[in-house]
Amino acid sequence: MRPHILIVDDSADVTGALRVLFEETGNDVSVANTIRDAVAVADARAVDVMLLDLTLPDGDGLSVLSTMRSRATEPRVTAALTGRAEPEIAARCTAAGCQAVLVKPVPIAELLRRVREWTT
Amino acid sequence: MHPVDSTTTAEHRVLQLEEALNEAAQINAELQSRDALKTQFLANISHDLRTPLTAIITHAEILRDGILGPLSDKQRDSVASIISGGRQLLEAVGEILTYARGAANQLTVSPSEFHITAVVAQVAALNEPLVAKKGLSLSVDVTPGVPSLVADREQVTHVVSNLLGNAIAFTPAGGRVWVTVSTTSEIGAQHVQVEVGDTGIGIAPEHHDLVFREFAQVDPSPSRRHHGTGLGLTIARRLVELNGGRIWLESRLGEGSRFYFILPAGDPR
Repeated sequence: MRPHILIVDDSADVTGALRVLFEETGNDVSVANTIRDAVAVADARAVDVMLLDLTLPDGDGLSVLSTMRSRATEPRVTAALTGRAEPEIAARCTAAGCQAVLVKPVPIAELLRRVREWTT
Repeated sequence: MHPVDSTTTAEHRVLQLEEALNEAAQINAELQSRDALKTQFLANISHDLRTPLTAIITHAEILRDGILGPLSDKQRDSVASIISGGRQLLEAVGEILTYARGAANQLTVSPSEFHITAVVAQVAALNEPLVAKKGLSLSVDVTPGVPSLVADREQVTHVVSNLLGNAIAFTPAGGRVWVTVSTTSEIGAQHVQVEVGDTGIGIAPEHHDLVFREFAQVDPSPSRRHHGTGLGLTIARRLVELNGGRIWLESRLGEGSRFYFILPAGDPR
């Protein structure tokens, strides 16, 4: 079965680019623009990798993780996508359960390599 | 003068002064609130610029790497230019955001212990392709026994990266760029000193203060050959000072530049 990647970001331009990248490289892709939508996607189908923006219109992106955990739908791997690489942001992401913190825009070669590692 | 008159005059003056003081306080409060608005505006605009840039760069990389099908050499060159332009823009936006946060005193220091040599080696390696492309030579020289630092590693990396980036940008083909790390003493305390030097165009002594001033460009003309936000060295100075250090330069027009910064050596526990 193809890996299921969930992209959570409120920018349609960003999710559009990442959708093309992962669909063209053999993954099933779901997109959510809000925390609510992200939780609904994970309810419907197990997520292998979630790429999570931290600033979402309905709240702090990291709260998605605790909500999913309480519903037993937490993705196998979650990578936070942030605008800036600051130690306090990275520490907050790790504490919330993210396995990686990546700074946008992540070079696609690196993004593909990481996601391949997580899904094989 | 009659004593009563003199008291009345003094009271009147005190009243006038109090009024003037109140007015000054009001103006000051107004200016501070406008400054906070400006800072917030810069932060918002930076975020709003980063998002579409992220999309542009990601789409362009997808094309460049042939994920949507093979490109001709010319098409690939063209897409590579979109990516490099996008990355430059992103760097400028990042600088504006860092400046805005610095101006609002929102920059915090997260200190850790590290060796500056590791940072210098990392930044030098990242710049190697650019150095080769411009036909320059880059050397790194470290005096043995340089102590470690306790500072914000990311901020120090930013400073080294900015200084080396400038040295490369302002040095014509065939020139030399170097980084020297040594130990120095200031007010009786051991410091680590980093020198970033080049054989480039240099800076006239009367412009030495200007280069650290925000938004300042030594050559402000629209046709200037070197572009940037004019914030790089302002930010570098702010970051060095936040970490307890000092930054300065030695340069003359046509004789290259040497930028120095020092940071206190780590606590020798």
